[in-house]
Amino acid sequence: MHDGLDVAPRGGLRLGIDIGGTFTDFALVDSLGSRVGVHKQLTTPRDPSHAVLEGTLAICQAVGCSLSELVEIVHGTTLVTNALIERRGDRTGMLVTQGFRDLFDIGREQRYDLFDLRLRYAEPIVERGLRADIPERLKHDGSVLVPLDEEAVAAQTRRLVEDERIEALAICFLHAHVDDRHERRAREIAGALYPALHISHSADVFPYPREFERWTTTCANAYSQPLVDRYLSRLETGLAEAGFLGRLWIMASSGGLMNLDMARRYPVKLLESGPAAGVLVAARIGTAVAGGDLLSFDLGGTTAKGALIRKGRPFRAYSFEAAHAYEYRSGSGLPLQIPVLDMTEIGTGGGSLVAPDALGRLRVGPRSAGAEPGPVSYGRGGKTATLTDANLLLGYLHPDSFLGGTMTLDLDAAAEAYREQIGVPLGVDALRAAWGAHDMANEDIARAFRMHATERGFDYRGCAMVAFGGGGPLHAARIARKLRVPRVIFPRGAGVMSAFGMLSGAQSFETVRAFRRGLDAVEESELQALLADLDAEAAAPLGSGGATHWHRRFDMRYRGQHYDIEVELPEACGDLREALRMRFIERYREIFHTSLDEPIEIVGCKVEASAAASQSFSTSPEDENDGGEAMTGHRQAYFPAAGGLVDCAVLARSRLRPGMVVDGPALVEEPESTILLDAGDRATVHGDMSLVAEIATP
Amino acid sequence: MTSPVAASRRTLDPIDLAIAWDRLISITDEGAAALIRTSFSMLVREGFDLSVMIFDTRGRLIAQSRKCIPVFIGTAPVTMAHMLKRFPPQTLAPGDVVASNDPVIGTGHMFDLALMKPIFRGGRIVAYAMSITHLPDIGGMGFSAAATEIYHEGLRLPIWKLFAAGQRDETLIELIKLNVRVPEQVLGDIMASVSCLEVVDRQLGEFLSEAGLADVDELAVSIIDQTEAAVRAALAAIPDGAYRNEVEVEAFGDIRRLVCRIDKRGSAAAIDFAGTGPCVGAGINVPLSYTRSMALYTLKCITAPRLPNNDGATVPISISAPVGCLLNAVPPAPSAGRHVIGHFIPPLIFGALAEVVPDRVMAGSGLIDFITLQGRRPDGSGMTTTFCAAGGFGALSDLDGQPTTPGSSNMGGMSAELFEPESGLTVERKSLRPDSGGAGAYRGGPGQEIVLRNDSGFPVSVFSMANRTQFPAQGFAGGQPGACREHLVNGETISPQGRHELAPGDRLTLREAGGAGFGNPQARPASKITDDLRRGYATPEGAARAYGPDWPRRGT
Repeated sequence: MHDGLDVAPRGGLRLGIDIGGTFTDFALVDSLGSRVGVHKQLTTPRDPSHAVLEGTLAICQAVGCSLSELVEIVHGTTLVTNALIERRGDRTGMLVTQGFRDLFDIGREQRYDLFDLRLRYAEPIVERGLRADIPERLKHDGSVLVPLDEEAVAAQTRRLVEDERIEALAICFLHAHVDDRHERRAREIAGALYPALHISHSADVFPYPREFERWTTTCANAYSQPLVDRYLSRLETGLAEAGFLGRLWIMASSGGLMNLDMARRYPVKLLESGPAAGVLVAARIGTAVAGGDLLSFDLGGTTAKGALIRKGRPFRAYSFEAAHAYEYRSGSGLPLQIPVLDMTEIGTGGGSLVAPDALGRLRVGPRSAGAEPGPVSYGRGGKTATLTDANLLLGYLHPDSFLGGTMTLDLDAAAEAYREQIGVPLGVDALRAAWGAHDMANEDIARAFRMHATERGFDYRGCAMVAFGGGGPLHAARIARKLRVPRVIFPRGAGVMSAFGMLSGAQSFETVRAFRRGLDAVEESELQALLADLDAEAAAPLGSGGATHWHRRFDMRYRGQHYDIEVELPEACGDLREALRMRFIERYREIFHTSLDEPIEIVGCKVEASAAASQSFSTSPEDENDGGEAMTGHRQAYFPAAGGLVDCAVLARSRLRPGMVVDGPALVEEPESTILLDAGDRATVHGDMSLVAEIATP
Repeated sequence: MTSPVAASRRTLDPIDLAIAWDRLISITDEGAAALIRTSFSMLVREGFDLSVMIFDTRGRLIAQSRKCIPVFIGTAPVTMAHMLKRFPPQTLAPGDVVASNDPVIGTGHMFDLALMKPIFRGGRIVAYAMSITHLPDIGGMGFSAAATEIYHEGLRLPIWKLFAAGQRDETLIELIKLNVRVPEQVLGDIMASVSCLEVVDRQLGEFLSEAGLADVDELAVSIIDQTEAAVRAALAAIPDGAYRNEVEVEAFGDIRRLVCRIDKRGSAAAIDFAGTGPCVGAGINVPLSYTRSMALYTLKCITAPRLPNNDGATVPISISAPVGCLLNAVPPAPSAGRHVIGHFIPPLIFGALAEVVPDRVMAGSGLIDFITLQGRRPDGSGMTTTFCAAGGFGALSDLDGQPTTPGSSNMGGMSAELFEPESGLTVERKSLRPDSGGAGAYRGGPGQEIVLRNDSGFPVSVFSMANRTQFPAQGFAGGQPGACREHLVNGETISPQGRHELAPGDRLTLREAGGAGFGNPQARPASKITDDLRRGYATPEGAARAYGPDWPRRGT
């Protein structure tokens, strides 16, 4: 499944690879950032490096280049995500401050549902028997209350390795984010005893306060270290044997690129790199096409993801919940502290199961038929109606042109499922039921966007949405209409967007440091020294001369308030203290419409160093237009805004030329996705081949 | 919700209704999110001590934000009725916002300010929106049970227009500012609540025009009817009868009996608390509005936990208590800490129904410990902070209780790394309290033990309103009670309700209560007891005491 040679390769080829649940996607671009080819093949869950190697050879062969011509491979992986969900990491031990061994069992003491008495939480990554109390204690200012018991560190490490057979060790002490001397010393002792043991310590993984989250993150890091190490070794060897001479990067959850040393040291930062890559490319294309604020919208087989983009930069966050233990519920998973692109994710995707609930209200997801058995219409044993089946019944998908015609869909089976499972109980016909599922999915996604935006004080009305993923283009225009978002951008290559995203980002690295100090008590020279230190630390992984930009952000608060306000420093500023004070008051006013007569405190600082990104970037193939008529025909499809089942124009995406206008209702097909334009929407083909739709207001 | 409705204006079919219903809830959620984001109150930000609602033109609740705590189930319609009585629809104008924090018609204490905004379209009222938020301060003695009369507890506001046709009542604002400790924060939260109503107003207007609806009334009928029918069906499945229960609770030096009687007939239930003891001279008395909320909350857990909340859910259930009893406090009885007693209502009702619907009830929980600390930080600056710690959750008929899970309030645990610099105290340990969960075929969740040392260099006052110190969580069907809560200073047990001083260097130990078990301990398989030992929920000695020394030879 690749689209072969698009153009003659122009030196300095870069390959992006995204491993998804079903497919591993490949995108090849040249040194100018232009698309050379794409390729898709089935993921090999047992050893994902297998599909990576095979696909790399396949795409090189298809475009007629050798692996030695690749200067760079950028790779995103779900390895760590899956290891946490399926608990396939290695046996991990933990050294923990005496008196706090039970912290994971006590949990965060908060219910995520007040009415459900059966709620469950994620099992701790390190079971209690593998956690050892170590006498040691720092105060919150870093002074020593109880000195580190070095003999206990050695004895407990020996016990865990010799008797309990651990492969990895997490060292987690209180207040280590303020001063890591005890953690570092314990690490030296354990490392000297067992040089091959994988060791993570909490001040190194994410030096920020909140012990539950920092320690959970540290344990997750240790737990996935051996696994990631083995995987990267296999991949490195395999690619080298095939003739690859270039650099290999791994994409991090923040969208930055990590070299293999960093990936081995911080595997927990590899979570969710595929979705992050999608947001990066949405930001890049959306900014080039429309500018201003953007919504990134990705709809795949099992979930929909949304992100907010301001001035070309996706919103970021420093907490992420992995491996939900109870019905995908937020609050039931493992709370991790890692830099991520701030996304909302809901369980609405093509494979989402559709059924009425106990009150007879139609529900879409979060349970999914997945790739196996899949939707009813796949004919692979799926029995329950899914969203994809609804889109087929509504005429949005064609039984014969799904996935570029590589798979025929069973329309009758889908109709039967909707009639029996939804139509009969609710007293409506199958088409009405299918429209209900489609509309409900749109409503659920619109709600997720509204909440995500409102929680972050982001006014989405007036911005543009960038839609991608296999199902994004089919739902985007109607979701935009519900949100009163006036414009939707449909980039080319929506189905392999994350693989392109691997290549659109710049190499970057972020470092954080807890730094709790009253703004009036801190010396200007101290702040300058802190920033110089963090600038250098963040730039180091990028190599000498690699870093060209630094983003410096401080978490600050009024004393006595329990929440932080993030303040960004301008790249160049004079007096740091004054700049921070001004920025803080300004930002505080934006949120709370007031300022307080209280001392201001700094809580911590985050610095991201990044290299320059490639100048231009395009996901569109050149010259694939065979010159045929763009309109390939009409088919019956359901458009209530146009009166119901109407004869709808169907166009081939590959035959659209810049400047062409498409009026809804219309369906624009490409191999991995279909764009739906509703009645009243009007789309224009942009110079970069993106389709830009103006959405009619309801 | 799109065009089929707009095009034909036919009656809503089930699919349209589901989408419209979800949208109304989503609008209240969005209002709540806006309020949480800009709130100063930690209880609002972290404990979601707020609620946002939409009412139809007759004042019936039809949608409520998902982020809210049990107290807001059922109080708002009462507040709404009083507000409309004081200001009938014909006296309301666009831009009006009606306010009140009167505990008698509200949520039971004065920290909760209710704001109500009539939503106008085309010159007529099409719906009402309300937001309730827990303010950072309301004057008086602060958030404690120390008051002996309601007049000690702060500023009590009558039903009044905070905004009249868009004009803010500056006299009322000045009055509030002069009466609270942190005026900018209190005012900030009030205005955040006003902005939240504006979000609801705008979104609701957009929704109505999109759906082609003149007002929310047609939807309201369907939402309320369907919900009522579902609750009635769930009630009908419970055998008819009169079910009684009583528990004893500690009440600031006194002991009070709480009594309930549930008359279940057909598809309706009446809950009466006659027989409950009288009010006490401390701020733990419970106004009926709070009693009603906790009773409705409990029945919701039993009948339809996943049903969205609205007036339909409460129609089949009536709640009563004799005036002046501990569960129907009226002024001048103080009530700032009404949760201390109010949190016993769910276990009281669960206990009454344990025999008839054993698969729907939860054995007693250890409940939450909520402590206020006042003193100075090491640098001499003043310090007031709260420390929360949860006891264990009760067991179900087929599920072990979770360790350390709060109920009914939902304040999270405290990070030692954040608490220590804030308070000047040191958390010496925070560990599970083994053997505190009651034994049973399914065991209760264990509580925890926390040791705090006063390293501030100054004396620290501890205000405590702890419960479960004499009366442990009770098990069902042979399940054993959980361990009682204990507070100690330097190893000496102290009275858990009241005020204590910690000298520099003193240690305060909190032993949080365990949840109770469900079913005969003899029926617990050996493999599960082994697992309890492995998880640190039980000690070998404790297991031998609870399950008999021969338990390892039991079947699995």
